[in-house]
Amino acid sequence: MKSTQYSEKVLDHFRKPRNVGTLEGEDVAVGRVGNPVCGDLMEIYIRVKDDKIIDMKFKTFGCGSAIATASMITELAMGKTLEQALSITRNDVASELNGLPPVKMHCSNLAADALKDAIKNYRSRGKSETGVTQKIEQGIKRLTGEDDFLDKGVYYKIDEFSSFKDKRTIIIDNGDKTAEAAIEISKYTPRVVLVTQLKDLPVKSALKIKLNKTDVKVLYESKIIEIKGVKTVEKVLIHDLNEDEKYELFVDTVLIL
Amino acid sequence: MSIYLDYQSAKSVDPRVIQAMQPYFCKRFGNPSSLHTTGDDATEALENARVVIADFIGAQAKEIIFTSGATEANNLAIIGYAMRNRRKGNHIVISEIEHISIHNISKFLEKNGFVVSKVPVNQYGEVDVQKINDRITKDTILVSVGWANNEIGTIQQMTDIATLCREKGIVLHSDAVAAEGLLQLDVGKNLVDMLTLSSNDIYGPSGVGILYLRKGTRVNPIIIGGGQEYGLRSGTENVPGIMGMAKAAEIMKIEMTAEAKRLLNYRDRLIKEILTNIPKSYLNGHPSRRLPNNAHFRFSGIEGESLLLSLKDEGIDVSTGSACSSKTLEPSHTLIATGLLHEEAHGSLQITCGRFTTEKDLDTFLNVIAGAVNKLRKLSPLYKEE
Repeated sequence: MKSTQYSEKVLDHFRKPRNVGTLEGEDVAVGRVGNPVCGDLMEIYIRVKDDKIIDMKFKTFGCGSAIATASMITELAMGKTLEQALSITRNDVASELNGLPPVKMHCSNLAADALKDAIKNYRSRGKSETGVTQKIEQGIKRLTGEDDFLDKGVYYKIDEFSSFKDKRTIIIDNGDKTAEAAIEISKYTPRVVLVTQLKDLPVKSALKIKLNKTDVKVLYESKIIEIKGVKTVEKVLIHDLNEDEKYELFVDTVLIL
Repeated sequence: MSIYLDYQSAKSVDPRVIQAMQPYFCKRFGNPSSLHTTGDDATEALENARVVIADFIGAQAKEIIFTSGATEANNLAIIGYAMRNRRKGNHIVISEIEHISIHNISKFLEKNGFVVSKVPVNQYGEVDVQKINDRITKDTILVSVGWANNEIGTIQQMTDIATLCREKGIVLHSDAVAAEGLLQLDVGKNLVDMLTLSSNDIYGPSGVGILYLRKGTRVNPIIIGGGQEYGLRSGTENVPGIMGMAKAAEIMKIEMTAEAKRLLNYRDRLIKEILTNIPKSYLNGHPSRRLPNNAHFRFSGIEGESLLLSLKDEGIDVSTGSACSSKTLEPSHTLIATGLLHEEAHGSLQITCGRFTTEKDLDTFLNVIAGAVNKLRKLSPLYKEE
């Protein structure tokens, strides 16, 4: 058997996933986990009554085993008390599915974590967010590499939108004006990324709707920490603040307005 | 039988090739190193094959070194050249989107005192010649750029790259496996010094390949033994395999133009229908400067491996650049180099057609792809319907 082969039970849950969807209401909580490196993202919704899970739904972006494990945990946890549900482990999910390929055990076996997150969120619902206020580090502080590449890929102003033609452009969020610039530039190049340290863009809702209709990619809770290249800008190092992970993104232009 | 749309991964051997190989298993089984009649017969066959394959790429017979395949040819070219010429310098330039074998060979050389620079590509996967120039130093001895990309199918400006390397007096290697059988590869016109080809990629048997080594380009052998292949690749020659590759090259030389034209029509149909029929679908690679058999897409909100599994259930074989289908769990380095985010690289789908693809295969695929994408998008927390 190939090390990447799935069991029949995994395939069954992949083909006919149980309890797909979302839930809403006062008695609902959602758990979200994801591993951007591997590319899996999972949401588990629970509805709780008398300390018991009376309904569950899920949504998953990920490979076959990510979908199957989410589907399986909705079967395993349905009807359980929160305590019982908390005791379900990654291994329980994997063995109920008659095993997962070794390579998938770590990264695509997130369902138990997502369920725990949902239960945690259920128990703390109604309480205010744990006092974290979002703060943007405003910038007199220059990015590493910013000075080296000024006018060689790093720009502080827009002379002609057409000069962005076919350039992969990353724009550092600075409210409405950068969102407007992103929309305009996206008419000239298929690749525009808007990067914000916030969970949501601090722009007018009409602008958000407009932005959603374009192919502009928004990176939330992320910031550029370094600009790299040889002679001209070639890539940026991005810090995903939420996952505390750093990764490189290939770009041609960095726009700081 | 599944509908096979993954010719980039493997190709079935042409029946005419199998027929040409047949005599070399039992009747003409000699070892070309033997001095008797049976050995002479094998030598004659081997040298004829060398002529045919040289002719396929506009080379001289003596410039062809038979290997066990493209990976070995890449090793011989890069490690062999680096080791032989390290007195001249220790710097090598490759592109960000080279085949994994080139990347891993580079890592090996870095552990052995060499410095490797990687040249970025634009959003279509094209290597910028100026960016190669920016990286060349007085220590640069070798540049290696694949003729066309094996994933997204982008074709490089090999003539410009070769011209630059000539001017600078630097040897140029090109892995042409993705391009062979689809583009004219003429080493007389394109001044590439070393060229890697595989047999299977022109519908010959696996386990055979060649390194074209321009006269005067010196490499050290990486396999040491009885001194076959001018001492550059020891080991008794795989005569049946080599005869198969020669037959494959002979057929390809005649049929390539018509075949590439047919495949190009398939490719353009795939691209047109998918981009039209599936919302938020995108083409990876260059819109026109791409291999005639390659269509490479991404679909926002879904992951490639699950799409591959869904198509597998429909009896269709395709490929993906998703990490979840790879051994390392890293997404395709090629897609990342074009500027895609991880989640986008995960949602990619590669379709490559070939000699035995039919219009009906495309019909079947196009009938199910939109449904498969939709089904997965319904599960996805990342995809919101408009």
